[in-house]
Amino acid sequence: MTAQAVLYQAPQAVSYRRTVRQVAIGVAAVVLLAWTCFPFVWILLTSLKSPGDILSVPPSFVFTPTIDNYAALVMGEQRGQYSSTRPDFPLFFLNSLIISVGAVALSVLAGIPAAYALARFTFPAKNGLAFLLMSFRFVPFIAFVIPLYLLFQTFGLYNTHGGLILAYQLITLPFTIWMLRSFFQEIPLETQEAAMIDGCSWLGVLTRVILPLSMPGIAVTVILGFMFCWNAFNYPLMLAGRQTFPVTVGAIQFISYEQVLWGQMAAATIVAALPQLVLSLMVQKYIVRGLTMGAVK
Amino acid sequence: MSTTRKRRHWRRERLLPYLLLAPALVLLAGMVYPFLLGLYYSFTSYWLQYPNRFRFVWLDNYLSLIEEPLFARALEFTLGFTLAAVVIQVGLGLAVALFLHARIPGRAAIRALMLLPLMIPPVITALMWKIMMGSTNAGILNYLLSFLGVDPVNWFGSTQGAIVSVLIIDTWGNLPFVSLILLGGLQALPTEPYEAARVDGAGPIDILRYVTLPLLSPFIVLVVLFRTMDSLRIFDVIYATTLGGPNDATTNLHIMAYQYSFQWYQMGKGMAQAIVLLILVVIISYLLMRLWNRASESTA
Repeated sequence: MTAQAVLYQAPQAVSYRRTVRQVAIGVAAVVLLAWTCFPFVWILLTSLKSPGDILSVPPSFVFTPTIDNYAALVMGEQRGQYSSTRPDFPLFFLNSLIISVGAVALSVLAGIPAAYALARFTFPAKNGLAFLLMSFRFVPFIAFVIPLYLLFQTFGLYNTHGGLILAYQLITLPFTIWMLRSFFQEIPLETQEAAMIDGCSWLGVLTRVILPLSMPGIAVTVILGFMFCWNAFNYPLMLAGRQTFPVTVGAIQFISYEQVLWGQMAAATIVAALPQLVLSLMVQKYIVRGLTMGAVK
Repeated sequence: MSTTRKRRHWRRERLLPYLLLAPALVLLAGMVYPFLLGLYYSFTSYWLQYPNRFRFVWLDNYLSLIEEPLFARALEFTLGFTLAAVVIQVGLGLAVALFLHARIPGRAAIRALMLLPLMIPPVITALMWKIMMGSTNAGILNYLLSFLGVDPVNWFGSTQGAIVSVLIIDTWGNLPFVSLILLGGLQALPTEPYEAARVDGAGPIDILRYVTLPLLSPFIVLVVLFRTMDSLRIFDVIYATTLGGPNDATTNLHIMAYQYSFQWYQMGKGMAQAIVLLILVVIISYLLMRLWNRASESTA
Protein backbone atom coordinates (compact mmCIF):
# COMPACT_ATOMS: atom_id res chain seq x y z
CA MET A 1 0.00 0.00 0.00
CA THR A 2 2.66 2.50 0.99
CA ALA A 3 4.84 1.59 -1.96
CA GLN A 4 1.94 2.14 -4.27
CA ALA A 5 1.13 5.44 -2.68
CA VAL A 6 4.67 6.66 -3.28
CA LEU A 7 4.53 5.29 -6.81
CA TYR A 8 1.42 7.12 -7.83
CA GLN A 9 1.87 10.40 -6.02
CA ALA A 10 5.22 11.61 -7.20
CA PRO A 11 5.51 15.09 -5.66
CA GLN A 12 7.21 16.57 -8.75
CA ALA A 13 4.28 15.64 -11.00
CA VAL A 14 3.62 18.34 -13.54
CA SER A 15 0.09 19.67 -13.04
CA TYR A 16 -0.82 19.04 -16.69
CA ARG A 17 0.14 15.36 -16.44
CA ARG A 18 -1.73 15.18 -13.20
CA THR A 19 -4.91 16.45 -14.83
CA VAL A 20 -4.61 13.93 -17.66
CA ARG A 21 -4.13 11.19 -15.11
CA GLN A 22 -7.15 12.27 -13.11
CA VAL A 23 -9.34 12.41 -16.19
CA ALA A 24 -8.14 8.96 -17.23
CA ILE A 25 -8.90 7.57 -13.77
CA GLY A 26 -12.32 9.19 -13.83
CA VAL A 27 -13.14 7.73 -17.24
CA ALA A 28 -11.95 4.27 -16.20
CA ALA A 29 -14.02 4.43 -13.00
CA VAL A 30 -17.12 5.44 -14.95
CA VAL A 31 -16.61 2.65 -17.50
CA LEU A 32 -16.14 0.09 -14.73
CA LEU A 33 -19.23 1.28 -12.85
CA ALA A 34 -21.36 1.38 -16.01
CA TRP A 35 -20.25 -2.13 -17.01
CA THR A 36 -21.08 -3.45 -13.54
CA CYS A 37 -24.29 -1.57 -12.81
CA PHE A 38 -25.98 -0.86 -16.11
CA PRO A 39 -27.46 -4.38 -16.53
CA PHE A 40 -29.12 -4.06 -13.12
CA VAL A 41 -30.47 -0.60 -13.93
CA TRP A 42 -31.81 -1.71 -17.29
CA ILE A 43 -33.47 -4.85 -15.95
CA LEU A 44 -35.08 -2.81 -13.17
CA LEU A 45 -36.41 -0.38 -15.78
CA THR A 46 -37.61 -3.23 -18.00
CA SER A 47 -39.43 -4.80 -15.07
CA LEU A 48 -41.39 -1.56 -14.62
CA LYS A 49 -42.42 -1.28 -18.28
CA SER A 50 -45.59 -2.25 -20.06
CA PRO A 51 -45.19 -4.67 -23.02
CA GLY A 52 -45.45 -1.79 -25.51
CA ASP A 53 -42.63 0.15 -23.84
CA ILE A 54 -40.41 -2.93 -23.68
CA LEU A 55 -40.55 -3.53 -27.41
CA SER A 56 -40.30 0.13 -28.46
CA VAL A 57 -37.55 1.00 -30.92
CA PRO A 58 -35.38 2.81 -29.98
CA PRO A 59 -35.50 1.60 -26.36
CA SER A 60 -37.25 4.08 -24.13
CA PHE A 61 -35.70 5.52 -21.00
CA VAL A 62 -38.72 7.67 -20.19
CA PHE A 63 -42.01 5.84 -19.76
CA THR A 64 -44.94 5.50 -17.39
CA PRO A 65 -43.86 2.91 -14.81
CA THR A 66 -46.23 0.09 -14.02
CA ILE A 67 -46.17 -2.62 -11.39
CA ASP A 68 -48.14 -4.99 -13.62
CA ASN A 69 -45.16 -7.33 -14.08
CA TYR A 70 -44.64 -7.70 -10.34
CA ALA A 71 -48.36 -8.08 -9.77
CA ALA A 72 -48.51 -10.86 -12.36
CA LEU A 73 -45.52 -12.49 -10.67
CA VAL A 74 -47.16 -12.45 -7.26
CA MET A 75 -50.48 -13.64 -8.62
CA GLY A 76 -48.57 -16.40 -10.36
CA GLU A 77 -50.59 -16.19 -13.52
CA GLN A 78 -50.42 -14.85 -17.02
CA ARG A 79 -53.57 -12.83 -17.46
CA GLY A 80 -55.37 -15.18 -19.79
CA GLN A 81 -53.58 -16.03 -23.02
CA TYR A 82 -50.72 -18.49 -23.48
CA SER A 83 -51.71 -21.17 -21.07
CA SER A 84 -48.54 -23.19 -21.67
CA THR A 85 -46.55 -20.71 -19.61
CA ARG A 86 -47.95 -20.20 -16.18
CA PRO A 87 -44.94 -19.90 -13.93
CA ASP A 88 -46.05 -19.99 -10.31
CA PHE A 89 -43.35 -17.69 -9.03
CA PRO A 90 -44.37 -17.43 -5.35
CA LEU A 91 -44.20 -21.22 -5.21
CA PHE A 92 -40.76 -21.20 -6.86
CA PHE A 93 -39.55 -18.66 -4.30
CA LEU A 94 -40.83 -20.80 -1.46
CA ASN A 95 -39.19 -23.88 -3.02
CA SER A 96 -35.85 -22.07 -3.21
CA LEU A 97 -36.14 -21.16 0.46
CA ILE A 98 -37.10 -24.67 1.59
CA ILE A 99 -34.41 -26.43 -0.42
CA SER A 100 -31.63 -23.95 0.40
CA VAL A 101 -32.37 -23.83 4.13
CA GLY A 102 -32.73 -27.61 4.29
CA ALA A 103 -29.54 -28.29 2.36
CA VAL A 104 -27.49 -25.85 4.44
CA ALA A 105 -28.90 -27.16 7.74
CA LEU A 106 -28.05 -30.75 6.81
CA SER A 107 -24.56 -29.78 5.64
CA VAL A 108 -23.80 -27.76 8.76
CA LEU A 109 -25.04 -30.50 11.10
CA ALA A 110 -22.90 -33.12 9.38
CA GLY A 111 -20.12 -30.68 8.59
CA ILE A 112 -19.30 -29.32 12.07
CA PRO A 113 -18.10 -32.63 13.56
CA ALA A 114 -16.42 -33.58 10.28
CA ALA A 115 -14.59 -30.27 10.05
CA TYR A 116 -13.57 -30.60 13.71
CA ALA A 117 -12.15 -34.07 12.99
CA LEU A 118 -10.24 -32.83 9.95
CA ALA A 119 -8.95 -29.75 11.74
CA ARG A 120 -7.84 -31.28 15.03
CA PHE A 121 -7.12 -34.99 14.71
CA THR A 122 -4.56 -36.93 12.75
CA PHE A 123 -5.75 -40.22 11.38
CA PRO A 124 -5.01 -42.32 8.33
CA ALA A 125 -6.94 -41.33 5.21
CA LYS A 126 -7.29 -37.77 6.52
CA ASN A 127 -5.63 -36.09 3.56
CA GLY A 128 -7.30 -38.47 1.13
CA LEU A 129 -10.67 -37.56 2.56
CA ALA A 130 -9.98 -33.84 2.39
CA PHE A 131 -8.89 -34.24 -1.22
CA LEU A 132 -11.96 -36.33 -2.07
CA LEU A 133 -14.16 -33.54 -0.70
CA MET A 134 -12.30 -30.93 -2.70
CA SER A 135 -12.49 -33.04 -5.85
CA PHE A 136 -16.26 -32.67 -5.98
CA ARG A 137 -15.60 -29.17 -7.21
CA PHE A 138 -14.00 -30.62 -10.37
CA VAL A 139 -16.77 -32.96 -11.45
CA PRO A 140 -19.13 -31.76 -14.20
CA PHE A 141 -22.62 -31.79 -12.70
CA ILE A 142 -23.95 -33.95 -15.55
CA ALA A 143 -21.83 -36.87 -14.31
CA PHE A 144 -23.85 -36.79 -11.07
CA VAL A 145 -27.19 -35.79 -12.44
CA ILE A 146 -27.58 -38.67 -14.93
CA PRO A 147 -27.35 -41.42 -12.29
CA LEU A 148 -29.18 -39.27 -9.72
CA TYR A 149 -32.05 -38.76 -12.15
CA LEU A 150 -32.37 -42.51 -12.65
CA LEU A 151 -32.02 -43.28 -8.92
CA PHE A 152 -34.50 -40.56 -7.94
CA GLN A 153 -37.06 -41.95 -10.38
CA THR A 154 -36.66 -45.38 -8.81
CA PHE A 155 -36.83 -44.26 -5.19
CA GLY A 156 -39.55 -41.64 -5.55
CA LEU A 157 -37.20 -38.75 -4.80
CA TYR A 158 -37.70 -37.11 -8.18
CA ASN A 159 -39.54 -33.81 -7.91
CA THR A 160 -39.42 -33.74 -4.10
CA HIS A 161 -37.84 -31.22 -1.74
CA GLY A 162 -36.10 -34.01 0.15
CA GLY A 163 -34.47 -35.36 -2.99
CA LEU A 164 -33.24 -31.91 -3.96
CA ILE A 165 -31.87 -31.28 -0.46
CA LEU A 166 -29.88 -34.50 -0.79
CA ALA A 167 -28.67 -33.59 -4.31
CA TYR A 168 -27.66 -30.11 -3.08
CA GLN A 169 -25.25 -31.76 -0.64
CA LEU A 170 -22.95 -31.99 -3.66
CA ILE A 171 -22.83 -28.20 -3.57
CA THR A 172 -22.88 -27.49 0.15
CA LEU A 173 -21.24 -30.36 2.01
CA PRO A 174 -17.69 -30.18 0.59
CA PHE A 175 -17.85 -26.39 0.79
CA THR A 176 -19.11 -26.40 4.38
CA ILE A 177 -16.48 -28.84 5.61
CA TRP A 178 -13.61 -27.00 3.93
CA MET A 179 -14.75 -23.60 5.12
CA LEU A 180 -15.43 -24.69 8.70
CA ARG A 181 -12.12 -26.53 8.82
CA SER A 182 -10.28 -23.38 7.78
CA PHE A 183 -12.10 -21.39 10.49
CA PHE A 184 -11.53 -24.06 13.17
CA GLN A 185 -7.84 -24.17 12.34
CA GLU A 186 -7.57 -20.47 13.11
CA ILE A 187 -8.40 -21.10 16.77
CA PRO A 188 -5.12 -21.42 18.67
CA LEU A 189 -4.37 -24.96 19.79
CA GLU A 190 -3.33 -23.69 23.25
CA THR A 191 -6.88 -22.56 24.00
CA GLN A 192 -8.17 -26.06 23.35
CA GLU A 193 -5.38 -27.72 25.32
CA ALA A 194 -6.08 -25.43 28.23
CA ALA A 195 -9.74 -26.47 28.15
CA MET A 196 -8.71 -30.14 28.06
CA ILE A 197 -6.46 -29.67 31.08
CA ASP A 198 -9.38 -28.04 32.85
CA GLY A 199 -11.29 -31.29 32.35
CA CYS A 200 -13.18 -30.69 29.15
CA SER A 201 -13.85 -33.70 26.97
CA TRP A 202 -13.51 -33.43 23.18
CA LEU A 203 -17.21 -32.65 23.12
CA GLY A 204 -16.69 -29.91 25.68
CA VAL A 205 -13.89 -28.46 23.59
CA LEU A 206 -16.12 -28.47 20.54
CA THR A 207 -19.20 -26.96 22.20
CA ARG A 208 -17.53 -24.65 24.73
CA VAL A 209 -14.44 -23.48 22.87
CA ILE A 210 -14.56 -24.12 19.13
CA LEU A 211 -18.19 -23.31 18.39
CA PRO A 212 -18.44 -20.07 20.41
CA LEU A 213 -15.13 -18.81 19.04
CA SER A 214 -15.96 -19.65 15.43
CA MET A 215 -19.54 -18.37 15.44
CA PRO A 216 -18.76 -15.62 12.91
CA GLY A 217 -17.11 -18.21 10.68
CA ILE A 218 -20.09 -20.53 10.94
CA ALA A 219 -22.43 -17.64 10.13
CA VAL A 220 -20.39 -16.78 7.05
CA THR A 221 -20.38 -20.42 5.97
CA VAL A 222 -24.14 -20.69 6.41
CA ILE A 223 -24.83 -17.51 4.44
CA LEU A 224 -22.47 -18.40 1.60
CA GLY A 225 -23.79 -21.96 1.48
CA PHE A 226 -27.31 -20.58 1.28
CA MET A 227 -26.27 -18.31 -1.57
CA PHE A 228 -24.70 -21.17 -3.52
CA CYS A 229 -27.90 -23.19 -3.10
CA TRP A 230 -29.96 -20.22 -4.20
CA ASN A 231 -27.78 -19.97 -7.34
CA ALA A 232 -28.10 -23.67 -8.16
CA PHE A 233 -29.65 -24.31 -11.54
CA ASN A 234 -28.34 -27.58 -13.01
CA TYR A 235 -29.51 -30.04 -10.40
CA PRO A 236 -33.08 -28.72 -10.05
CA LEU A 237 -33.33 -28.37 -13.84
CA MET A 238 -33.14 -32.15 -14.12
CA LEU A 239 -34.29 -33.36 -10.71
CA ALA A 240 -37.20 -31.00 -9.95
CA GLY A 241 -40.63 -30.72 -11.51
CA ARG A 242 -43.18 -27.92 -11.69
CA GLN A 243 -44.08 -28.32 -8.01
CA THR A 244 -40.47 -28.06 -6.78
CA PHE A 245 -38.75 -25.68 -9.24
CA PRO A 246 -36.62 -23.06 -7.48
CA VAL A 247 -36.46 -19.46 -8.75
CA THR A 248 -33.49 -20.13 -11.05
CA VAL A 249 -35.34 -22.75 -13.06
CA GLY A 250 -38.58 -20.82 -12.60
CA ALA A 251 -37.15 -17.72 -14.27
CA ILE A 252 -36.53 -19.50 -17.58
CA GLN A 253 -40.16 -20.62 -17.66
CA PHE A 254 -41.02 -17.17 -18.99
CA ILE A 255 -39.51 -18.23 -22.30
CA SER A 256 -41.93 -20.38 -24.27
CA TYR A 257 -42.52 -21.34 -27.86
CA GLU A 258 -45.17 -18.68 -28.28
CA GLN A 259 -43.34 -15.74 -26.79
CA VAL A 260 -40.91 -14.41 -24.25
CA LEU A 261 -42.57 -12.55 -21.39
CA TRP A 262 -39.77 -9.99 -21.12
CA GLY A 263 -41.37 -7.80 -18.48
CA GLN A 264 -42.24 -10.62 -16.13
CA MET A 265 -38.91 -12.29 -16.74
CA ALA A 266 -37.17 -9.04 -15.79
CA ALA A 267 -39.29 -8.79 -12.65
CA ALA A 268 -38.50 -12.43 -11.88
CA THR A 269 -34.74 -11.90 -12.27
CA ILE A 270 -34.92 -8.92 -9.90
CA VAL A 271 -36.83 -10.94 -7.31
CA ALA A 272 -34.54 -13.97 -7.76
CA ALA A 273 -31.41 -11.83 -7.38
CA LEU A 274 -32.67 -9.73 -4.46
CA PRO A 275 -31.74 -12.06 -1.57
CA GLN A 276 -28.29 -12.47 -3.09
CA LEU A 277 -27.76 -8.73 -3.32
CA VAL A 278 -28.65 -8.25 0.34
CA LEU A 279 -26.68 -11.25 1.60
CA SER A 280 -23.59 -10.50 -0.49
CA LEU A 281 -23.28 -7.10 1.16
CA MET A 282 -23.48 -8.80 4.56
CA VAL A 283 -20.62 -11.19 3.91
CA GLN A 284 -18.60 -9.17 1.41
CA LYS A 285 -15.33 -9.61 3.32
CA TYR A 286 -15.59 -13.38 3.06
CA ILE A 287 -16.90 -13.94 -0.46
CA VAL A 288 -13.50 -14.55 -2.02
CA ARG A 289 -12.63 -16.99 0.73
CA GLY A 290 -15.91 -18.80 0.16
CA LEU A 291 -15.53 -19.02 -3.59
CA THR A 292 -12.10 -20.58 -3.26
CA MET A 293 -13.21 -22.97 -0.48
CA GLY A 294 -10.93 -21.27 2.00
CA ALA A 295 -7.85 -21.29 -0.25
CA VAL A 296 -7.60 -17.49 -0.36
CA LYS A 297 -8.29 -15.62 2.88
CA MET B 1 -2.49 -41.93 37.15
CA SER B 2 -2.06 -39.23 34.60
CA THR B 3 -0.32 -41.54 32.13
CA THR B 4 -3.09 -44.15 32.19
CA ARG B 5 -5.67 -41.46 31.78
CA LYS B 6 -3.74 -40.04 28.92
CA ARG B 7 -3.44 -43.47 27.29
CA ARG B 8 -7.12 -44.24 27.61
CA HIS B 9 -7.82 -40.80 26.29
CA TRP B 10 -5.51 -41.41 23.33
CA ARG B 11 -7.13 -44.74 22.50
CA ARG B 12 -10.52 -43.14 22.49
CA GLU B 13 -9.16 -40.39 20.31
CA ARG B 14 -8.18 -42.92 17.67
CA LEU B 15 -11.79 -43.88 17.05
CA LEU B 16 -13.14 -40.43 17.66
CA PRO B 17 -12.39 -38.82 14.29
CA TYR B 18 -14.29 -41.55 12.47
CA LEU B 19 -17.23 -41.11 14.79
CA LEU B 20 -17.21 -37.40 14.15
CA LEU B 21 -16.96 -37.97 10.42
CA ALA B 22 -19.72 -40.58 10.30
CA PRO B 23 -22.65 -38.33 9.31
CA ALA B 24 -20.60 -36.63 6.62
CA LEU B 25 -19.29 -39.98 5.38
CA VAL B 26 -22.84 -41.27 4.98
CA LEU B 27 -23.74 -38.25 2.88
CA LEU B 28 -20.46 -38.62 1.02
CA ALA B 29 -21.27 -42.22 0.20
CA GLY B 30 -24.56 -40.94 -1.17
CA MET B 31 -22.54 -38.85 -3.62
CA VAL B 32 -19.88 -41.37 -4.56
CA TYR B 33 -22.38 -44.16 -5.19
CA PRO B 34 -24.32 -42.37 -7.97
CA PHE B 35 -21.05 -41.38 -9.56
CA LEU B 36 -19.79 -44.97 -9.63
CA LEU B 37 -23.15 -46.12 -10.94
CA GLY B 38 -22.88 -43.53 -13.68
CA LEU B 39 -19.36 -44.68 -14.47
CA TYR B 40 -20.77 -48.18 -14.91
CA TYR B 41 -23.55 -46.87 -17.15
CA SER B 42 -20.93 -45.27 -19.38
CA PHE B 43 -19.88 -48.79 -20.39
CA THR B 44 -23.45 -49.82 -21.21
CA SER B 45 -25.96 -49.12 -23.97
CA TYR B 46 -28.41 -47.62 -21.45
CA TRP B 47 -31.15 -45.94 -23.49
CA LEU B 48 -34.08 -44.87 -21.33
CA GLN B 49 -36.72 -45.48 -23.99
CA TYR B 50 -35.40 -48.93 -24.88
CA PRO B 51 -34.70 -50.64 -21.55
CA ASN B 52 -34.53 -54.11 -23.09
CA ARG B 53 -31.56 -53.08 -25.22
CA PHE B 54 -29.49 -52.62 -22.07
CA ARG B 55 -26.19 -54.48 -22.24
CA PHE B 56 -22.55 -54.04 -21.35
CA VAL B 57 -20.73 -52.63 -24.37
CA TRP B 58 -17.23 -52.09 -22.92
CA LEU B 59 -15.66 -49.02 -24.49
CA ASP B 60 -18.12 -48.62 -27.37
CA ASN B 61 -19.57 -45.35 -26.06
CA TYR B 62 -16.10 -43.86 -25.75
CA LEU B 63 -14.79 -45.19 -29.07
CA SER B 64 -17.87 -44.05 -30.97
CA LEU B 65 -17.05 -40.48 -29.95
CA ILE B 66 -14.05 -40.54 -32.28
CA GLU B 67 -16.35 -40.88 -35.28
CA GLU B 68 -18.90 -38.43 -33.93
CA PRO B 69 -18.47 -35.10 -35.76
CA LEU B 70 -20.29 -33.20 -33.01
CA PHE B 71 -17.74 -34.44 -30.45
CA ALA B 72 -14.80 -32.93 -32.33
CA ARG B 73 -16.63 -29.60 -32.59
CA ALA B 74 -17.74 -29.67 -28.97
CA LEU B 75 -14.20 -30.48 -27.83
CA GLU B 76 -12.84 -27.67 -29.95
CA PHE B 77 -15.40 -25.21 -28.58
CA THR B 78 -14.80 -26.35 -24.99
CA LEU B 79 -11.06 -25.75 -25.24
CA GLY B 80 -11.31 -22.63 -27.40
CA PHE B 81 -13.92 -21.04 -25.15
CA THR B 82 -11.91 -21.82 -22.03
CA LEU B 83 -8.74 -20.32 -23.49
CA ALA B 84 -10.54 -17.18 -24.64
CA ALA B 85 -12.50 -16.77 -21.39
CA VAL B 86 -9.47 -17.26 -19.15
CA VAL B 87 -7.21 -14.93 -21.16
CA ILE B 88 -9.86 -12.19 -21.36
CA GLN B 89 -11.01 -12.48 -17.75
CA VAL B 90 -7.56 -12.73 -16.18
CA GLY B 91 -6.21 -9.95 -18.40
CA LEU B 92 -9.08 -7.58 -17.67
CA GLY B 93 -9.22 -8.72 -14.04
CA LEU B 94 -5.56 -7.84 -13.58
CA ALA B 95 -6.17 -4.40 -15.08
CA VAL B 96 -9.15 -3.81 -12.79
CA ALA B 97 -7.21 -5.04 -9.74
CA LEU B 98 -4.26 -2.73 -10.48
CA PHE B 99 -6.71 0.12 -11.03
CA LEU B 100 -8.54 -0.47 -7.74
CA HIS B 101 -5.22 -0.92 -5.93
CA ALA B 102 -4.09 2.56 -6.95
CA ARG B 103 -6.09 4.25 -4.16
CA ILE B 104 -8.65 5.79 -6.46
CA PRO B 105 -11.54 7.70 -4.87
CA GLY B 106 -14.64 5.60 -4.18
CA ARG B 107 -12.72 2.34 -4.23
CA ALA B 108 -14.73 0.78 -1.41
CA ALA B 109 -18.00 1.54 -3.22
CA ILE B 110 -16.76 0.12 -6.53
CA ARG B 111 -15.46 -2.97 -4.75
CA ALA B 112 -18.82 -3.54 -3.05
CA LEU B 113 -20.73 -3.05 -6.29
CA MET B 114 -18.47 -5.53 -8.07
CA LEU B 115 -19.65 -8.24 -5.70
CA LEU B 116 -23.15 -8.06 -7.11
CA PRO B 117 -22.56 -9.72 -10.52
CA LEU B 118 -20.49 -12.30 -8.69
CA MET B 119 -23.19 -13.48 -6.35
CA ILE B 120 -26.37 -13.53 -8.39
CA PRO B 121 -27.26 -16.85 -10.06
CA PRO B 122 -25.38 -17.32 -13.36
CA VAL B 123 -28.61 -18.27 -15.09
CA ILE B 124 -30.16 -14.99 -13.94
CA THR B 125 -27.10 -13.16 -15.29
CA ALA B 126 -27.69 -14.90 -18.61
CA LEU B 127 -31.36 -13.88 -18.65
CA MET B 128 -30.48 -10.26 -17.81
CA TRP B 129 -28.15 -10.09 -20.79
CA LYS B 130 -30.66 -11.89 -22.96
CA ILE B 131 -33.12 -9.10 -22.19
CA MET B 132 -30.48 -6.49 -23.03
CA MET B 133 -29.49 -8.20 -26.26
CA GLY B 134 -33.12 -8.58 -27.25
CA SER B 135 -34.95 -11.17 -29.29
CA THR B 136 -34.89 -9.26 -32.57
CA ASN B 137 -31.51 -7.66 -31.84
CA ALA B 138 -33.39 -4.42 -31.16
CA GLY B 139 -32.34 -4.54 -27.53
CA ILE B 140 -30.68 -1.79 -25.56
CA LEU B 141 -27.19 -3.18 -26.20
CA ASN B 142 -27.29 -2.71 -29.97
CA TYR B 143 -28.85 0.71 -29.39
CA LEU B 144 -25.97 1.78 -27.13
CA LEU B 145 -23.39 0.28 -29.49
CA SER B 146 -24.86 2.31 -32.35
CA PHE B 147 -23.51 5.46 -30.65
CA LEU B 148 -20.04 3.96 -30.92
CA GLY B 149 -20.57 3.34 -34.61
CA VAL B 150 -21.03 -0.42 -34.24
CA ASP B 151 -23.51 -2.04 -36.63
CA PRO B 152 -26.33 -4.04 -35.00
CA VAL B 153 -24.95 -7.37 -33.81
CA ASN B 154 -26.98 -10.52 -34.45
CA TRP B 155 -26.39 -11.77 -30.91
CA PHE B 156 -27.91 -15.22 -30.77
CA GLY B 157 -28.72 -15.78 -34.44
CA SER B 158 -25.22 -15.96 -35.86
CA THR B 159 -22.39 -18.33 -35.05
CA GLN B 160 -19.92 -15.62 -34.10
CA GLY B 161 -22.55 -13.53 -32.36
CA ALA B 162 -23.55 -16.45 -30.14
CA ILE B 163 -19.96 -17.22 -29.16
CA VAL B 164 -19.27 -13.55 -28.39
CA SER B 165 -22.52 -13.31 -26.40
CA VAL B 166 -21.63 -16.25 -24.19
CA LEU B 167 -18.13 -14.85 -23.66
CA ILE B 168 -19.49 -11.42 -22.70
CA ILE B 169 -22.03 -12.85 -20.25
CA ASP B 170 -19.51 -15.20 -18.64
CA THR B 171 -17.00 -12.36 -18.35
CA TRP B 172 -19.52 -10.02 -16.73
CA GLY B 173 -20.32 -12.64 -14.11
CA ASN B 174 -16.76 -13.69 -13.34
CA LEU B 175 -14.57 -10.64 -13.84
CA PRO B 176 -15.24 -9.55 -10.22
CA PHE B 177 -13.99 -12.91 -8.93
CA VAL B 178 -10.66 -12.52 -10.75
CA SER B 179 -10.36 -8.83 -9.83
CA LEU B 180 -11.08 -9.34 -6.14
CA ILE B 181 -8.62 -12.22 -5.72
CA LEU B 182 -5.87 -10.33 -7.54
CA LEU B 183 -6.68 -7.15 -5.58
CA GLY B 184 -6.36 -9.16 -2.36
CA GLY B 185 -3.04 -10.49 -3.64
CA LEU B 186 -1.77 -7.01 -4.47
CA GLN B 187 -2.68 -5.76 -1.02
CA ALA B 188 -0.80 -8.63 0.61
CA LEU B 189 2.46 -8.06 -1.30
CA PRO B 190 5.54 -7.03 0.72
CA THR B 191 6.67 -3.43 0.32
CA GLU B 192 10.47 -3.95 0.44
CA PRO B 193 10.89 -5.05 -3.20
CA TYR B 194 9.07 -1.89 -4.29
CA GLU B 195 11.33 0.32 -2.23
CA ALA B 196 14.38 -1.46 -3.62
CA ALA B 197 13.12 -1.09 -7.18
CA ARG B 198 12.42 2.59 -6.64
CA VAL B 199 15.91 3.15 -5.26
CA ASP B 200 17.24 1.47 -8.39
CA GLY B 201 15.27 3.99 -10.44
CA ALA B 202 12.77 1.60 -12.02
CA GLY B 203 9.79 3.13 -13.81
CA PRO B 204 6.17 2.05 -13.25
CA ILE B 205 6.21 -0.37 -16.22
CA ASP B 206 9.44 -2.01 -15.05
CA ILE B 207 8.05 -2.32 -11.54
CA LEU B 208 4.88 -3.96 -12.86
CA ARG B 209 6.84 -6.37 -15.03
CA TYR B 210 9.74 -7.28 -12.76
CA VAL B 211 8.29 -6.83 -9.26
CA THR B 212 4.48 -6.97 -9.19
CA LEU B 213 3.78 -9.74 -11.69
CA PRO B 214 6.36 -12.23 -10.36
CA LEU B 215 5.23 -11.62 -6.77
CA LEU B 216 1.60 -11.93 -7.79
CA SER B 217 2.12 -15.11 -9.81
CA PRO B 218 0.71 -17.56 -7.20
CA PHE B 219 -2.53 -15.56 -7.19
CA ILE B 220 -2.60 -15.37 -10.97
CA VAL B 221 -2.13 -19.13 -11.31
CA LEU B 222 -4.85 -19.65 -8.70
CA VAL B 223 -7.44 -17.58 -10.56
CA VAL B 224 -6.40 -19.24 -13.82
CA LEU B 225 -6.98 -22.62 -12.13
CA PHE B 226 -10.45 -21.73 -10.83
CA ARG B 227 -11.56 -20.00 -14.01
CA THR B 228 -10.25 -22.83 -16.20
CA MET B 229 -12.10 -25.46 -14.18
CA ASP B 230 -15.34 -23.51 -14.36
CA SER B 231 -15.01 -22.48 -18.02
CA LEU B 232 -14.42 -26.07 -19.13
CA ARG B 233 -17.72 -27.00 -17.51
CA ILE B 234 -19.80 -23.91 -18.30
CA PHE B 235 -23.45 -24.89 -18.65
CA ASP B 236 -25.98 -22.47 -17.12
CA VAL B 237 -25.22 -19.48 -19.32
CA ILE B 238 -25.19 -21.49 -22.56
CA TYR B 239 -28.34 -23.37 -21.61
CA ALA B 240 -30.28 -20.19 -20.85
CA THR B 241 -29.14 -18.26 -23.93
CA THR B 242 -28.22 -20.35 -26.98
CA LEU B 243 -28.82 -23.95 -25.84
CA GLY B 244 -25.72 -24.84 -27.86
CA GLY B 245 -26.84 -23.23 -31.10
CA PRO B 246 -26.96 -21.94 -33.69
CA ASN B 247 -25.73 -24.94 -35.66
CA ASP B 248 -24.03 -26.32 -32.55
CA ALA B 249 -21.68 -23.32 -32.54
CA THR B 250 -21.84 -23.00 -28.75
CA THR B 251 -22.19 -26.70 -27.92
CA ASN B 252 -19.47 -27.65 -25.47
CA LEU B 253 -18.93 -31.13 -24.03
CA HIS B 254 -21.22 -30.38 -21.10
CA ILE B 255 -24.12 -29.28 -23.32
CA MET B 256 -23.48 -32.24 -25.63
CA ALA B 257 -23.62 -34.71 -22.74
CA TYR B 258 -26.84 -33.02 -21.60
CA GLN B 259 -28.38 -33.34 -25.07
CA TYR B 260 -27.49 -37.00 -25.35
CA SER B 261 -28.81 -37.87 -21.91
CA PHE B 262 -31.80 -35.58 -21.39
CA GLN B 263 -33.03 -34.85 -24.89
CA TRP B 264 -32.36 -38.20 -26.54
CA TYR B 265 -32.25 -40.23 -23.29
CA GLN B 266 -29.09 -42.10 -24.31
CA MET B 267 -27.84 -42.27 -20.73
CA GLY B 268 -24.86 -44.52 -21.52
CA LYS B 269 -23.48 -42.24 -24.22
CA GLY B 270 -24.21 -39.08 -22.25
CA MET B 271 -22.43 -40.51 -19.24
CA ALA B 272 -19.39 -41.47 -21.34
CA GLN B 273 -19.19 -37.88 -22.58
CA ALA B 274 -19.47 -36.61 -19.02
CA ILE B 275 -16.54 -38.85 -18.02
CA VAL B 276 -14.45 -37.60 -20.96
CA LEU B 277 -15.13 -34.04 -19.82
CA LEU B 278 -14.19 -34.97 -16.26
CA ILE B 279 -10.90 -36.50 -17.43
CA LEU B 280 -10.17 -33.33 -19.40
CA VAL B 281 -10.87 -31.18 -16.32
CA VAL B 282 -8.72 -33.39 -14.09
CA ILE B 283 -5.73 -33.40 -16.47
CA ILE B 284 -5.80 -29.64 -17.01
CA SER B 285 -6.33 -28.89 -13.31
CA TYR B 286 -3.49 -31.22 -12.38
CA LEU B 287 -1.11 -29.40 -14.70
CA LEU B 288 -2.23 -26.04 -13.34
CA MET B 289 -1.91 -27.20 -9.74
CA ARG B 290 1.68 -28.27 -10.35
CA LEU B 291 2.26 -24.83 -11.77
CA TRP B 292 0.63 -23.32 -8.67
CA ASN B 293 2.87 -25.30 -6.33
CA ARG B 294 5.93 -24.17 -8.26
CA ALA B 295 4.72 -20.55 -8.26
CA SER B 296 4.06 -20.51 -4.52
CA GLU B 297 7.36 -22.20 -3.76
CA SER B 298 9.38 -19.76 -5.82
CA THR B 299 7.85 -16.75 -4.09
CA ALA B 300 7.72 -18.19 -0.59
